[in-house]
Amino acid sequence: MKKLILIVKSNLRRSKTQTVSIFVLVLLSSMLLNIWIILSFDYKENFWRCHDRLNAEHVTMVLDNSQDEFCHYLEETVKQQQNTSEYSIDKTFWMSGNISYNGGTLSSDFFVLEKDMACTRLIGNYEITQDSELKSGIYLPMLFGIGTNYSVGDVIEISCANRVLSYTVCGFYNSAMTGSHNCGMCAFLVTEDIWEELEREEFIPSSTLLSVRLYDKSQSEFYEAAIKNAVSRQFPSIQALSNSWVVVSQSRYISQMICSGIVSAMACLVIIISLVVIASGITNDIRENMKKLGVLKAAGYTGRQLTGIFYIQFLGLTFIGGVAGIALSYCLFPAVNEMMVSQTGIPYQIHFLFQPFVITFLVLGGTSVFVIYLSSRTLKRIDVITALRQGMETHNFKKNYFPLIHTRLPLQTALALKTTFSGAKKNITVCITMLLLSLVMVFSGVMIQNVIFDIQPMINLIVGEVADSCVSVKAEREAEFLEMLYKDDRVEKVYLYKDIEVRHVGHIALNLIVTDDCTKINNQNLYVEGRFPKFDNEMLLGAKYAREQGLKIGDEITLTADGNSADYIICGFTQTSNYLGKDCLMLRSGYHRIGTLPYLSYYINTAKGTDINTLNKELTETLGNDIEYIVNVEDAMTGTISVYVSVIIMIVIVILILSVIIIAFVLFLLVRTLLAHKKRDYGVLKALGFTTRQLIFQTALSFMPAVLLSLTVGLIISILIINPLIALFLRGIGMVKCTFEIPVGWIIIMSGGMAGFAFGFVCLLAVRVRKIAPREMLHGE
Amino acid sequence: MKQTLLKTENLSKSFSNGGVLQHVLRNIDLELYKGDFTIIMGASGAGKSTLLYALSGMDTPTLGTITFGEKVISKLSPDRLAIFRREHCGFVFQQIYLIEGMSIMDNVLAAGLLVNQNKKALIEHARKLFQAVDISEETQNKFPSQISGGEAQRVGIVRALMNSPELLFADEPTGALNSKTGLDVLNTLTRFNEAGQSVVMVTHDMRSARRGNRILYLKDGIITGECNLGRYLPEDRERHEKLQDFLQQMGW
Repeated sequence: MKKLILIVKSNLRRSKTQTVSIFVLVLLSSMLLNIWIILSFDYKENFWRCHDRLNAEHVTMVLDNSQDEFCHYLEETVKQQQNTSEYSIDKTFWMSGNISYNGGTLSSDFFVLEKDMACTRLIGNYEITQDSELKSGIYLPMLFGIGTNYSVGDVIEISCANRVLSYTVCGFYNSAMTGSHNCGMCAFLVTEDIWEELEREEFIPSSTLLSVRLYDKSQSEFYEAAIKNAVSRQFPSIQALSNSWVVVSQSRYISQMICSGIVSAMACLVIIISLVVIASGITNDIRENMKKLGVLKAAGYTGRQLTGIFYIQFLGLTFIGGVAGIALSYCLFPAVNEMMVSQTGIPYQIHFLFQPFVITFLVLGGTSVFVIYLSSRTLKRIDVITALRQGMETHNFKKNYFPLIHTRLPLQTALALKTTFSGAKKNITVCITMLLLSLVMVFSGVMIQNVIFDIQPMINLIVGEVADSCVSVKAEREAEFLEMLYKDDRVEKVYLYKDIEVRHVGHIALNLIVTDDCTKINNQNLYVEGRFPKFDNEMLLGAKYAREQGLKIGDEITLTADGNSADYIICGFTQTSNYLGKDCLMLRSGYHRIGTLPYLSYYINTAKGTDINTLNKELTETLGNDIEYIVNVEDAMTGTISVYVSVIIMIVIVILILSVIIIAFVLFLLVRTLLAHKKRDYGVLKALGFTTRQLIFQTALSFMPAVLLSLTVGLIISILIINPLIALFLRGIGMVKCTFEIPVGWIIIMSGGMAGFAFGFVCLLAVRVRKIAPREMLHGE
Repeated sequence: MKQTLLKTENLSKSFSNGGVLQHVLRNIDLELYKGDFTIIMGASGAGKSTLLYALSGMDTPTLGTITFGEKVISKLSPDRLAIFRREHCGFVFQQIYLIEGMSIMDNVLAAGLLVNQNKKALIEHARKLFQAVDISEETQNKFPSQISGGEAQRVGIVRALMNSPELLFADEPTGALNSKTGLDVLNTLTRFNEAGQSVVMVTHDMRSARRGNRILYLKDGIITGECNLGRYLPEDRERHEKLQDFLQQMGW
């Protein structure tokens, strides 16, 4: 064993650059793998831990009634449910309002609780994450305090019901179920004086907050439906806002799901490249040291002992690189964590995790053992005499590629191609690396185009439909409202686009979009299969939900609303992520079969140059209190989507940097190996009169066929699979089909850049040719 | 009057070995003439190969100048020296050093195409040279590992002569060959020299040295003696004795 370790040490000393390169690749693999495992497992569990710590509810519901009779009925209904474990019924104020957020406007449903009461609730407790000495003001979800949003002492303005409420930010809080607008409902905690003012003035309707803990939390959606159905039977006019553990646990982790998907893909990519490099390192070692290995075999070393050298050498490297990578992942995790927390809104305490540590090692160790076994097994079959005789000259000349006597290619090109075709392993390594990197490049290109340059496709995918302005107006004033807009030159298009909750067979809540004319919808890609509904008994259904329920186009489903039920035929599938795939769309006439719409939400497209805020202001002034809410959609989108945009920009930057690092290391190893193999040949060529520049060019050119071929094939494959792949990553949030624009031109330019970088970098690495002296070919002395 | 091809003045070469400066060549003044078969002899470590590197432009001297025709080559950059080598010099190595991944014909053409772009003329020239060294067309399509050492060295000579160099440098060309194949190689070099090719050969083999018309003896980096033998004639005993006497005087 000691002797083997001595040989390993000598190998490591001899191949310092290879050792460093493999170490770096293993380090990157281990870092990405560990981050992925933490994000995939512990990060999600963090929500559960937070949920348990705060004894959070599994169903939260705000109902716009706080009368004793109603509260009594609600309590009785909750008590009758077998799944009820604990519950709490409290007074709250509920409003639909707008606030400034992330440079835009956030439109959401907010409800208000008195801070001290909220922090002492037994169920659904609120914890203050940042407090201050300020005596009067508001506590915001901690999500709003991240980045350049709000700080303690700032004034937040909440626009609701024709009023603007201004409060000083006293601090921030954390809540599992209501601590983010991504939950669908978001709480504001206010100090006692403000609470008393709200009670006194009653410009925000008093409501009831129901928080319930369940015995079986997996049934939270059904429980939510049961309570809502029971309430609407007894109190049909009551409006409810609710969420459930199942939905919130997913919706607060959209960024985490996207990020973890991308990190997992990058981790796999780097692991594959590391393994290819290890395999190529072993086969090169065997080829370069054939004589030495023959000597060792002649001296009595068995094939197993010789392969043992590789196991010790490369597994040792994997182990050290793995530990360093895991350590690095914990150093970088605060940055990842900050990015994730800006979307989840739940604090995550970074701590060492044993499970991801073990899994990372098992994956890296297991795959390395497999690759070492495959690459080194030839050692066992090497015959001593053959090894001693062959040494370096283990060539297999089956074909004289590009014979100079026949080829019309220039000399340098022909010689470069000879090198290319005589190095199959080098080409395979280049091809695998470039194939994987072309996928990364296409992904980056698609993200840059669809998120950074033109956000519309991303908005269409995540949000579904956007226009310039959105106005929710009382149904009674619809005709007057529309007449006003039709006369207005600034308005190009106005159409009904109202979302409302319905239930499928009385259980699962679906977000229904009601419209009059599907041809007016801006996002005509809203349906991913089938067609828009034409008749009042047709509907589009969320593709993810349909898949989960085993529903197909042409199937009939029963929807309920306002205590009424009706059957609808599925005429197509839609996808938006607002309700994690639980969406549907139908005509207004279709919805009227089960319910009425007290408020109608209209989307407005305006002429170029229109000031949306002015238009909205004029509409507010005209319609007064008959407007439920009015939103500058672009502003609202900016606020909501900017979190995703910053996450994606960060991811694109990181993966592009990683790609460059990977390609640099792989090329470094390959060029180094090639130069070692061709040292003698290059010496001879130099002696014959080839210049250093010619040999550098030849070396770089010899890599290009594999680079260009794999880039071309990789790009074609990647362009074909990128949209389905993104849809696969986003399946958790309801995506089944992605129609991102693929910027082929940009991707070709980027690929050209990558090929150019590869060529330039190989030229740079091949400058070592300069050190090969032709005089070394002469051994006269 | 012989035409001077290459001339050195005060040619010196030193190496630093573990901090100790070693003067391998010291102030050598030398002229190489057109049509000569110059032999450089000397004991191991005398500086024969170092002198060959310097004369052939494979290495640059520490001091002194080397002039080829009218051109000073001792100050040229490595790439300029490479261009000089391809245009004016041919090399025959002891270890032959054909490029393994290329056929025999490709090995030869790779050198030729560097200077001459007329492939048709080059191929014809290569075929004539192959014929002259008795390498068959079949062998021309083989790989270096598929031919004998003697054949390989003759291919090496063809490669060296592809660009019709003014000077052919040979470094112990028979060193790695057996006696019969070594003789073939020497005969080939002699034939080309007789046809007008200037040759500079490093050797410490008496049999090889006999082929030269001018013998330079190198000792401790200094040319200590020179012997002019005249044209090689296989049966000229007087010539051989003259060489033997010279070498004896030099302490061989």
